[in-house]
Amino acid sequence: MIISEAEAKRITQRALSFSKAESATVRLRGHERGNIRFALNNSTTNGFQDGLSLSVESNFGKRSGSASTNELDDRSIEATVRKAEENARLAPENAEFLPPLGPQKYLESRAFFESTAGARPEKLAALCGPVIQEADRESVTAAGFLEAGAECEALATSNGLFVFEPSTAVRFTVSARTSDGTGSGWAGQHQHDIARLNVSRLGKSAMQKTVQSRNPVALDPGKYTVILEPAAVCDLLGLMIGNFDARSADEGRSFFTKKGGGNKLGEKLFGEKINLYSDPHHALAPGSVFSGEGLPVARRDWVKEGVVNELIYSRFWAKKNGREPVPNPTNLIMEGGTTPTDELIRDTKRGVLVTRFWYIREVDPRTMLFTGLTRDGTFLIEDGKISKPVKNFRFNESPVAMLSNIEAMGISERTTGSEVDDWPVCVPPLLVKDFNFASLSDAV
Amino acid sequence: MSRVNRREFVRGTAGAAILLGAPQLWLRSAEAAIRNENIALDKREFKKLADIALSTAKKLGASYGDLRVARYMNESINTREERVEDVSSSVNSGFGARVLVEGTWGFASSNVVTPEQIEKTTRLAVEIAKANRAIRKKPVEIEKLPGYDDEWTMPMKRDPFTVSVEDKIKLLLAVNDSAKKAGANFCSSSMTFVREEKFFASTFGTLLRQVRVRSFPRFRVTVVGKGTGRFDTRRSLAAPRGRGYEYVEECDLVAEAARASEEAKEKQKAKSVEPGKKDLVLHPTNLWLTIHESVGHPTELDRALGFEANFAGTSFVTPDKLGKLRYGSELVNIVGDRTQKGGLSTIGYDDDGVKTKGAEFHILRDGRFENYQMSVGLAQKIGRKRSNGCAFADSWDNFPLQRMPNISLQPGKKKVSIEELFSDIKDGIYIMGDSSFSIDQQRYNFQFTGQVFWEIKNGKLGQMLRDVAYQGNTVDFWNSCDALCGKEEYHLGGAMNCGKGQPQQIAPVSHGAVPARFRKVNILNTERSDI
Repeated sequence: MIISEAEAKRITQRALSFSKAESATVRLRGHERGNIRFALNNSTTNGFQDGLSLSVESNFGKRSGSASTNELDDRSIEATVRKAEENARLAPENAEFLPPLGPQKYLESRAFFESTAGARPEKLAALCGPVIQEADRESVTAAGFLEAGAECEALATSNGLFVFEPSTAVRFTVSARTSDGTGSGWAGQHQHDIARLNVSRLGKSAMQKTVQSRNPVALDPGKYTVILEPAAVCDLLGLMIGNFDARSADEGRSFFTKKGGGNKLGEKLFGEKINLYSDPHHALAPGSVFSGEGLPVARRDWVKEGVVNELIYSRFWAKKNGREPVPNPTNLIMEGGTTPTDELIRDTKRGVLVTRFWYIREVDPRTMLFTGLTRDGTFLIEDGKISKPVKNFRFNESPVAMLSNIEAMGISERTTGSEVDDWPVCVPPLLVKDFNFASLSDAV
Repeated sequence: MSRVNRREFVRGTAGAAILLGAPQLWLRSAEAAIRNENIALDKREFKKLADIALSTAKKLGASYGDLRVARYMNESINTREERVEDVSSSVNSGFGARVLVEGTWGFASSNVVTPEQIEKTTRLAVEIAKANRAIRKKPVEIEKLPGYDDEWTMPMKRDPFTVSVEDKIKLLLAVNDSAKKAGANFCSSSMTFVREEKFFASTFGTLLRQVRVRSFPRFRVTVVGKGTGRFDTRRSLAAPRGRGYEYVEECDLVAEAARASEEAKEKQKAKSVEPGKKDLVLHPTNLWLTIHESVGHPTELDRALGFEANFAGTSFVTPDKLGKLRYGSELVNIVGDRTQKGGLSTIGYDDDGVKTKGAEFHILRDGRFENYQMSVGLAQKIGRKRSNGCAFADSWDNFPLQRMPNISLQPGKKKVSIEELFSDIKDGIYIMGDSSFSIDQQRYNFQFTGQVFWEIKNGKLGQMLRDVAYQGNTVDFWNSCDALCGKEEYHLGGAMNCGKGQPQQIAPVSHGAVPARFRKVNILNTERSDI
């Protein structure tokens, strides 16, 4: 259920009015989302999800407890507040306890679009229809997923903080396979505004890759120059940013741990052209204006000209270290260049073009070594042209090495990955040397 | 933005009902709502709601309809070192209405469980089905299932929701203390409990109430080398289970935390592995995940047919291989069931209303591929009559999909100890615990690591190793299995969070195994000295 700011304020204040604790935080989250799936060029499953839930954190001195419910009648809300208080009384004192935040100043949120929130089932079906028709025309087998909806979140504390933010999101991904099962292609995008999502274009792009990738040849595993399309870059950078945490670095258990103690803040670890930032007001991929703790989120430059410029500092860790807290980013932007992907290909003597990655897992946190596979469109580039489709590879590689081996960057664009698929991300395609493909996969 | 307009296609949501006096969950008494206790919902009242949903669906032209009302209670406690980070309890309830109209599915859900909302949401499900009719070419056909009127409750000795939070905290802090005393720099420990209560009714005349519980105690120790920049972790080997608090007590995490800390310290000095082909002995705490990824997922029929192609992928195990593919050596028998004691997938009836007792099946028999996992509407596509009970929806707001039953490697027929598996290995590795895992979208090429690795040299267990990953091809790997321990070494592993579907759904599933030996598996060294 999507509610107005006034309703959110009323409900959160009502919950706080039940509180007998010394301090309390109340969070309200609602959503309404419709989705459509298709496979084998045919409608399959679908759904509409409608929910609203309330969570309460109650504090007595340094003791805290939480409870949540989506049963939002008055009595259930009161029962939830009591449960949080019961949990708080049973918990021992937490030496790291900090009282809930008071009023904060937030940026204006730019994440809600009526066009997306109002999308009806007929509209979603109508957007998918032409993609299925295109698959029929190309004699390929398509499968896809379109989801559109709205969310709202409110946070209120007994110390006077109240913030409310509505947002919308639409996701479309489509893959297709040739009838002989030797070729596959994919395209996908995540947007806030459904008007910006060109479902038909994405469908065509996936089909084109599918047909092009038929009958791949096997290359030997090894180190290759690669062009990683934005979906592939999105996954590796999105997984990497999760490691930008000061505390684990200071505790000696992170890639960002400095040998001998402390963290690598201020060190130049990547190439000079690398700029990674988050900004709730980014035009293509806006992010949320407040963090889980209720801290205001503003632009942060995580990597500036190759230097680690920010690490995440929780409120407690910031206080302990005499710094301002740095909340988690709510979107991720990598600055790109001005070269279109076609030109990156033209400038490549020999390399592998990667559409996207799949099933990426961390192998070694000390080096941020990840493993995963290429999927849905992997091609050999020879003398500036795509010469042939190639079999998929398993990679064992670190984004740290990737960011140090960039030879050229394309234009940064809004994308979605296979692991990082519910976050606003804007990244460029990258031309990277010495990317480590460890073995071949027969998977198509 | 001060005002949000609701999406048009939810007409008249019950926003105005918020903060009114009437309990939202229509099945509960107001008194129970105040207590917020572990209450039993009323099956008779549920039937009234089901009648509304099913009659609305039929009236609007549905050939099939079902209603699921579910209520989940969660409790989680997280600690690190001497601190409790959080104690949280949650209640989450709602319903999902599913209809089949002119061969097209429609599904809609809401957390407002009232007769009015059930009628509206069922109408919405029909509206969605009709909207999707435009992109439906081949009608969905489902088999007729027998109707059941039944209740099923998971047996347990101690309901975790009746055990005091204080006792749980005491145990977790003792785990952390044990780890620190044994030399770990850090230890995080936690417990998660889930109580799932589901009502289900369908137009086949089924009316069910089912209750089950999941318990997951765990920890992770970290040892940091002084000035070396090197750190090592070791996670607990205890798996989540479909059991009560008695399972937590049996795990003895306090003793394991001390052992884990010793092992993490040993990892700091362990030898970096020499890559190449080596024989492997995999303990069930590692092998369960390999079974999950390389046997569980490829034998899901919806995947094999292409329904999951856009996300989870398809499968190398295409229907033409049914009954023919030599998947593994003759020692390999792998069974799917939803009846195994303690299994996370264990339940009386699946989310299509299929009875699970009697539906147990061999996936691999003597190494040969014999059967797929199925939910409703799939069996006919491979010439079989009926689903074998593998439907599951992770919440009331998701469409039920084909999900894994408990899938387990059967023990060898003879009593064989782990030492006997080592005995004729010249150059091998023994692996316990799971860690990093990755497999391609058709389930050929996999790479796994583990928690602890030991060298096996000339039939004997040797020193600890590090930087180990094993990589393989599913069919080659299972055909290289040449020895299994007996049932005395059986262990049930599993996970709470297997992902599949769009929107993604998270399923709990268990996998049993005995220690097994695999010949000439490709071992990688994962150290990156250049970073």
